[in-house]
Amino acid sequence: MTDREYLISPWIRIWHWTNALLILILGTTGISVHFADPDLLLVEFSLAVRIHHAAGVTLVAAYLFFVVANIVSGNWWHFVPKPPGILQRLIAQVRWYSFGIFRGEPSPHVVTQEQHFNVLQALTYWNVMYLLMPTVIISGLIYLYPEFAPDQLFGFDGLLPIAMLHYLSAAAILLFMLSHIYLGTSGKTAGSLFRMMFTGWHERE
Amino acid sequence: MKRLGRFLIALAVLAVLSTPALAQDKPAAVISPEQLAKVRAGNDECFACHSAAGITHPQKPDLDLKRLRGLVRDADTFYGSDHQRLSCTKCHNEGYDEHPHAADAKEMTSTCADCHDKTATAVSKQFDRSVHAKNLADTFTCTTCHDPHLMRQAAKLGDPHKIVAQDNRVCLGCHDSDESFAKFAPEKKTRPLIDEIHDWLPNARAHWKAVRCVECHTPAVAASEPISHQILGKDQAERKCLTCHSADSSLKTRLYRHLVGEERQRLGFANSVILANSYVLGATRHALIDTLLMIAFGVMLVGLLAHGAGRIVARLAQRKNKND
Repeated sequence: MTDREYLISPWIRIWHWTNALLILILGTTGISVHFADPDLLLVEFSLAVRIHHAAGVTLVAAYLFFVVANIVSGNWWHFVPKPPGILQRLIAQVRWYSFGIFRGEPSPHVVTQEQHFNVLQALTYWNVMYLLMPTVIISGLIYLYPEFAPDQLFGFDGLLPIAMLHYLSAAAILLFMLSHIYLGTSGKTAGSLFRMMFTGWHERE
Repeated sequence: MKRLGRFLIALAVLAVLSTPALAQDKPAAVISPEQLAKVRAGNDECFACHSAAGITHPQKPDLDLKRLRGLVRDADTFYGSDHQRLSCTKCHNEGYDEHPHAADAKEMTSTCADCHDKTATAVSKQFDRSVHAKNLADTFTCTTCHDPHLMRQAAKLGDPHKIVAQDNRVCLGCHDSDESFAKFAPEKKTRPLIDEIHDWLPNARAHWKAVRCVECHTPAVAASEPISHQILGKDQAERKCLTCHSADSSLKTRLYRHLVGEERQRLGFANSVILANSYVLGATRHALIDTLLMIAFGVMLVGLLAHGAGRIVARLAQRKNKND
């Protein structure tokens, strides 16, 4: 058994880093327009709005590509936790992140060609990609074309619920991004999972 | 019921007394329903010709219908305007009693300053510094922008959408129409395309539906002062988005100045009177949600850093144990 295997297709790696860059741009410009304040060091408002629009439209294209390629390639199957013992494996994974990782124990999930993600990853990635991303994208598109928003809702501008959905789902994605980057250091070495996302080769623990 | 009646009368008196001083320099006379009916009956004589019906059913055979078509007024609109209680002859006085009207009747028509003298004095000083005074001082009058047959004061219109629609119609009437622009513009001056000169402004058309041109094209004034008549050209107009798009939005002293007294931070939203009409990025935020999210990010960062530090410490301890 070699100590590394080719795991991540080029399209996934290209999409992943495109998506990462877009999320960073959208996060920075989104924070700049939401917390707009002359006393804060933020991207200039009208520039931030323009960049956010352009990056948002690009994200729509990147997401559509992801969904279609995920179906066509069969990659979507990795996002589905497989029975039996989903709950037990989930608990084992949480215990490892909470305790085992400090004791130098190997992760309870063994990465294979058939199952890239552990149960916790599969559940999280599924929710991020098929719940949070569509929410942020659809609310963002309505934001871009506010004529599709209701005129009034509960005595407020009808854009308010759309804007809140956009803001909260974006915040959840950014929170996920922080944990995702951090857990990227939990491979064989701190840099091995990052290297995998560039080269496609997974280094076994 | 009697109590309710007294309360309503007291409210009506309060409403009349609280009318802003600038609304009418000469206080409007209290007019009874009978007097109003008389005024309107008199106006009906004018509207008999000066209306759409007057064109389709001419009152006299020898009327110049082409000319009359340019002098048509809508009675319903007039009765919704600030001058709704006035008889036509209050302004169109001498020479208009009979038809044909006197040849010099138009020259005898009252000017705005005849009633609004204090306002006219204050406004003319602002207008003299306006971009319109630069080339058009001779052709511009109050009525070039303020049609006395249809304008309604912002505070009386109340609904910001109606205020925006009314006021922007005035500006766009010329600045979005080659025909109207040419009537006033100096020779050889072509109309700059309204979308092109605003291409720096994201979602320009959405802005024009939500705010007035004068929010950016007039200088800032004290919250207690009405919007200035010093219309600013593109070089001086406001270009800083944060003037409106921030917690201390200038919209509070502009479009929403007559509503800020009702600000109650409804459901915890800042500037909720603005939010009732428009979601203004940066201005209509929810302080509690923002704070909770910042705490969530703080907790996440501290948690991840602590986890990382724990791993490093554990790794070092394991190495030390191995070496021992």
